[in-house]
Amino acid sequence: MKRALAAAAMVAVAVPMLVAVSALPRPGAPDGPVHTQVAARYLAAGAAETGAPNLVTGVLLGYRSFDTFGEVMIIFTALAAVMAALPATGADGAADRQPAGGGLPAIRVSPLVAFVVRFTSPFIAAFALWVILKGHLFPGGGFQGGAILGALGILLTIVLDRRRVWPLPAVARSRLLQAGGPLAFAVVALAGLWLTGYVLGYPADPALHAVRSLMMLLLEVGIGFGGGAIILALFLRLRGD
Amino acid sequence: MTEVDALLQNIDYAAAVILFCIGLYVVVAKGNLIKKLLGLNIMETAVFAFIVTSGMVDGGHAPIVTEAATPPFASPLPHALVLTGIVVAVSITALALALIVEVYRRYGTIEADELRETD
Repeated sequence: MKRALAAAAMVAVAVPMLVAVSALPRPGAPDGPVHTQVAARYLAAGAAETGAPNLVTGVLLGYRSFDTFGEVMIIFTALAAVMAALPATGADGAADRQPAGGGLPAIRVSPLVAFVVRFTSPFIAAFALWVILKGHLFPGGGFQGGAILGALGILLTIVLDRRRVWPLPAVARSRLLQAGGPLAFAVVALAGLWLTGYVLGYPADPALHAVRSLMMLLLEVGIGFGGGAIILALFLRLRGD
Repeated sequence: MTEVDALLQNIDYAAAVILFCIGLYVVVAKGNLIKKLLGLNIMETAVFAFIVTSGMVDGGHAPIVTEAATPPFASPLPHALVLTGIVVAVSITALALALIVEVYRRYGTIEADELRETD
């Protein structure tokens, strides 16, 4: 009964949305408003104005950098909220020595899996670094690289025993690293204020393009390492460490 | 028949709408809080698919403007917006999971109907 009611409600929701969607311009039409409004300007001038040939990075860190600042604050706030909602079961550092969280079952990992993870992890880390540092030239960026770093940290904490991964939880618990994204934004915002008179402004003078690249790189590194640390810290806290 | 033709022309958008409704159904019909959260994630994925689809262009390339790349390029704005959205979705998921863990610690269950009775 409840399911039938829910299904009927879904049909009632779907029909108006399908009607609305059928009135939209065809996806992929070159003359759609998605392509003729701001996007046309971004494509024409974005690479020169932001210094990032990858225009997604250019939009994220250049045109819509305030948006990205908010985004960084959201994930940082999420970590703070998770830490407030889930009090740590032991003092910081206790989890490095003994299993915490009230008798979590030890995961038995096959030696083959452990070896493959250990063997591939340097390559994964190098790939994450590449994605973070080259995000303005190739597909990638701080958030993507941070997700790879965080996933690598989660993988290692699951597969390896606690003795081997002891630096990882401590690194993820580092307040400075967790706040890496907001701190990088603070530095770049103040630098932009000093250089151009606008918060988060990038110098347009061609002589200062190296400074502009450095500012974007700092943002990418802060977002990447901060995001990775936050993802690992979220996982550790949810697991009960 | 024109409505059906218009819908078939925008079949990619229609797929996103249907995925959204599947997620909404999971949120409404399932009692387990983890399943509700999964449904919420399905809804978010549907929205991201919808926005990214709107940014593509016929025969387009990734919006990375170098000498080697030739137009047309996909619109970079929807991609940047979806990147923001994904980060927000991750934050929501993490916070919701933390709250579910805390609910389980206090009440010993994460089934919505059982939680209503313990109240």
